[in-house]
Amino acid sequence: MDLVTLQGWLDNTAFTILFFTMLAYWSSIAFPKVRLLGGLGTTGMALANMAIAALLTARWIEGGYFPLSNLYESLFFVIWGITAVHLVAERMSRSQLVGAITAPIAMGMTAFGTLTLPDNMQVSEPLVPALKSNWLMMHVSVMLLSYAALMVGALMAIAFLIVTRGQAIELRGSSVGTGAFRETKLRRNPNLQTVSAAPNLAGETDTVTRDGGTAVLAKVVTAPTTAPQKLTPQRLTLADTLDNISYRIIGIGFPLLTIGIISGAVWANEAWGSYWSWDPKETWALITWLVFAAYLHARITKGWQGRRPAILAASGFLVVWVCYLGVNILGKGLHSYGWFF
Amino acid sequence: MTTVNRWLQRYFKRELLPLLADLRLAIALLLVIAVTSITGTVIEQGESLAFYQTNYPSDPALFGFLDWRVILVSGLDHVYRTWWYLAILIVFGASLTACTFTRQITALRWFSRPWNFYSQPRQFNKLALSGELTQGNLEAISPLLEKRGYKVFTRDRTLYAQKGVAGRIGPIVVHASMLIILAGAIYGSMTGFFAQEIVPSGQVFQIRNIFDAGPWAEAQVPKDWAVRVNDFWIDYTPEGVIDQFYSDLSVINEDGEELAQKTIHVNEPLRYKGVTLYQADWGIAAVQVKLNNSPVLEIPMGQLPTEGKSRIWGTLVPTKPDMSESVSLLATDLQGTLLVYDTAGQLVATVRKGMATEVNGIQLSIVDIIGSTGLQIKADPGIPWVYLGFGLLMVGVLMSYISHSQVWALEADDKFFVGGRTNRAQVTFERELLQIMEAIEPTTSAADAPATSAIAP
Repeated sequence: MDLVTLQGWLDNTAFTILFFTMLAYWSSIAFPKVRLLGGLGTTGMALANMAIAALLTARWIEGGYFPLSNLYESLFFVIWGITAVHLVAERMSRSQLVGAITAPIAMGMTAFGTLTLPDNMQVSEPLVPALKSNWLMMHVSVMLLSYAALMVGALMAIAFLIVTRGQAIELRGSSVGTGAFRETKLRRNPNLQTVSAAPNLAGETDTVTRDGGTAVLAKVVTAPTTAPQKLTPQRLTLADTLDNISYRIIGIGFPLLTIGIISGAVWANEAWGSYWSWDPKETWALITWLVFAAYLHARITKGWQGRRPAILAASGFLVVWVCYLGVNILGKGLHSYGWFF
Repeated sequence: MTTVNRWLQRYFKRELLPLLADLRLAIALLLVIAVTSITGTVIEQGESLAFYQTNYPSDPALFGFLDWRVILVSGLDHVYRTWWYLAILIVFGASLTACTFTRQITALRWFSRPWNFYSQPRQFNKLALSGELTQGNLEAISPLLEKRGYKVFTRDRTLYAQKGVAGRIGPIVVHASMLIILAGAIYGSMTGFFAQEIVPSGQVFQIRNIFDAGPWAEAQVPKDWAVRVNDFWIDYTPEGVIDQFYSDLSVINEDGEELAQKTIHVNEPLRYKGVTLYQADWGIAAVQVKLNNSPVLEIPMGQLPTEGKSRIWGTLVPTKPDMSESVSLLATDLQGTLLVYDTAGQLVATVRKGMATEVNGIQLSIVDIIGSTGLQIKADPGIPWVYLGFGLLMVGVLMSYISHSQVWALEADDKFFVGGRTNRAQVTFERELLQIMEAIEPTTSAADAPATSAIAP
């Protein structure tokens, strides 16, 4: 079997696997008692991940260079990244909800790459002179991985918004450490699966935001909480978990995006003599960076620790897509190589 | 005068600084820069007046208001250089500076405070993740913490442990490095220059065609050296597609002595004394021909206006001494093939480099086709600072991923109190601390139960 046939077979396989993975995850939400379904979903994601890795390796052997030269290849690299980040996020959160929202996206992207893209855009093509550099592998792969991580993080923020719809929420986890403190109303019978609806930390977070989370003792002690009850750990709720894992995944994507933009800037400076030229793609990468920087800052802003940061992160999903594809559909600038001309 | 000074100081400290350091302003600025930057990617930048007049007519105006007049007046044809965009960037820089000094640097205070051991059980009440165990002691918990990478401190019967302090320094490094990048960029734009030269193979040039220079860029422009283009060529793949452009360049002094030599190509520039020469463009400069047994004649070629994307160079070769008859030679690349047209515009022959053809009764041989290299030339003294900022920024964002975790423990009232908190990775930390508690006092309370496997109501 030659490499091209193998590739055609592998991308169809990835699509089929992802389709059934999506169904498995959705059924696992509909029938939470059937444990098997969640495991099936995880296995499906891992298999799809391996199929796409094999597809990209076959391309690498066929083309002789790291396969990131056109839309088809970069699309599959992003899908590979999404499935990989999904497995990380699922492991961290131990929640099937992650798959319920990442699997359909991964499946949709695979369908687009396999079925919608015309055949002449699927073939491996030689690199143009400007892309013949070791920087290509470094810059493009890091950028695409950051897109994948940011997409999964944004998708989890969307899941968080769905789960907490109509509720006031206090976020946990930020660079200054808000939310590590006990809620003043100790839950007597801590039902672990309810969403905390306690906007009572406002005063507390206030102090926390100001000085890094030290001087809250007085406040909490005065609160009528310390009943002569045994002190037990206050567990995170599902909403807390989704939000925190979304934050952590975006926390991976953001440094990757930063490194990707910087590597692009250094490459441009080495190759063309300017590290920033307001090329549309470059500008959109900056816009993405700014939106997620705003998200990270919103988490530590007093009075903003409800659903607002999650809304910012969710809108980041659109921004990443515009950055990844939208700019190339406009077909302007340095980055239009190997796309829709 | 002093009252004004005092008022200014007061205003700066009490009003301006807190405003600039306000996080909500920072978030607003981040989003405003994001939104205004979008306009520059949607509206074509730096086109001619006629372009905007055709594409953005007044009637019907886009969205009812966006016609070419609005675009030109507001500067939407060059967003990133307009006064208002730069003003936003300046406010952003001021906000970043204020934040760095009032919030980030002061956060370092965290390191100077004494270790905070908890000596009272009630101190554990404030932590979400805390519990009282009926068994266990400091000797039991220390190795568990150390195994997980914690640095453990004990005093009397109380314990403090932490890991991931780098996560506290990361944001400080990020903010400081962005200031360095900003400073480097401003310094570079003030003292650097950009130039472009199109030079035929074999010629010497000095950098003259400067199209963009900062107010203090004069010192950077080289005066005591020039560059000779020894050769320029293009490699083609077997399919005839351009593989790479090459220019063999020599830096020479006033006496013509070679100071440096390098063959550059796209992605591989020549650097000399702070000036960098990049391979950017190419063209066809001339064609060398022989007519019958004449000496080699070099005839310059010019680029012809074409409407599409293709590039064609052409020239006229006289075939009679009185120039009453001639042929046109056309070339599209440096692969060596020329097309020969007669005065009637008919293609009469194609001829390759080193070959000859007969036109108008004389032997026309092509000796060589001479390419010219298009060089982009740049000096930017701000680069070392920008790169330093880039390096620190990358390290800083990576450090900022680390979650700073702290654990307290206390033996008191025949009980063992354990509590902890972390600033970022709440989920992982919860799991870790519950595992530690479980290891000290095994319970049936499902320390590791999947609290998150079902959907909330």
